[in-house]
Amino acid sequence: MPPAYPLRPMVNTALFVALICMGAFIAIPIGPVPIVLQNMFVLLAGLILGPAWGLACVGVYLLTGLAGLPVFAGGTSGIGKLFGPTGGYLLGYLPAVLVTGVLSRALGKRLGGDILAAVAGSMVVYAAGVPWLKIAFSLSWGKAVAAGMVPFLLGDTVKIAAAAVIAGKIRPFVKL
Amino acid sequence: MNIFTFHSGNTALHRLDVRYKTALVCMVSLALLKAGFAGCFVCFLVLSWLVYATGISFIHLAVQLKWFILLLGIMFITRSLTVPGTPIFSFFEVVITHEGIVQGTLVAMRFFLVMITGLLFSATTRPADLKSAAQWYLKPIPFVPEKRVAIMISLFLRFLPLILTQAQQVSDAVNARCGNLNKNPVRRIRYLVLPLLKKIFLAADSLCLAMDARCYSEDRTDPVFETGKNDMRFLGAGICLCLVMVCPFHIFIKMTFWS
Repeated sequence: MPPAYPLRPMVNTALFVALICMGAFIAIPIGPVPIVLQNMFVLLAGLILGPAWGLACVGVYLLTGLAGLPVFAGGTSGIGKLFGPTGGYLLGYLPAVLVTGVLSRALGKRLGGDILAAVAGSMVVYAAGVPWLKIAFSLSWGKAVAAGMVPFLLGDTVKIAAAAVIAGKIRPFVKL
Repeated sequence: MNIFTFHSGNTALHRLDVRYKTALVCMVSLALLKAGFAGCFVCFLVLSWLVYATGISFIHLAVQLKWFILLLGIMFITRSLTVPGTPIFSFFEVVITHEGIVQGTLVAMRFFLVMITGLLFSATTRPADLKSAAQWYLKPIPFVPEKRVAIMISLFLRFLPLILTQAQQVSDAVNARCGNLNKNPVRRIRYLVLPLLKKIFLAADSLCLAMDARCYSEDRTDPVFETGKNDMRFLGAGICLCLVMVCPFHIFIKMTFWS
């Protein structure tokens, strides 16, 4: 008997791609790296969809942006964004969603575990984004961290808390 | 029309093979990274002509992009105030530099042009064509289930208007219960976001049931593409535009002045 067609996870993954796009539109440009809501939805995708479908979700999101649809921060798109200063953050979403999904499952999908998983996911995004920003603008490590990480830490704390709470409330409605 | 909606028409851009269109968007996006003021201006003229030729109303476009234009304005002001250089205006601690204005204008122009390119693409490409192009591009890549990815792309495009509609409905329902009078921003967000997410996940579940009931599978007829002369002409013109955009005009200007 052939394996069941994964229609439900595919539809939910597509829905998360749409949510990430919506999050990217709400962008506040405070410098080279804007404040966006998309990373909250990336973390939420990892928490709810798990590592494999979460990875697929971010992969499809990046692909649609690469293809030309205006889905990146501030309604931008194209391969140029991946080679631009914020390309590291965008590519960092791939390992971040994987780490978040794996940790959330390993820690039993509880509030505390979800918070830890989301914190680890955020750290992965910065681990990819800050060195990329440093190279793109030829900055020192101190300046790269000051421009590409420090201004977002407070907002990230709120986003992580919101993602963990929303994940707990929404999980019962999401059938995978 | 919103930023993702297909705008029906029969213009050359509508008829262009979606694979070529995707390649052109990628090229223009890359060229914009290196484009200076002159290159951006040339790109702006070409894109404006394409918007006009496609039949998209400029007023509609401005309404659609009003928030993005506001963001570009904030981006320009931020750059003007934060980039160090020769001060042209100072008031207490606030210093606007010449380099900041130049860099801010260039960055805002590039963002604006990328936005217009993306909007032109989404306005002239059917979601089904985009799905076919994604499938065609991903087919040679091993271990990537191109049909599933293509289905997810077409589903995601259909979810965007659904999310916007549901958000409006939830917002109206909250306002009808005087939720807009609540001063606590966390509570206001909570009363908006949680019902919204619940509604759209339930809608996704209904969609799953409907697709399942119709025995939806990925065993469908593959798309067939036909490349015409018009496609090749567009590709050639696109390559020329990208070369012009990255051309270092300022060096030519300097050489002209020196000679």
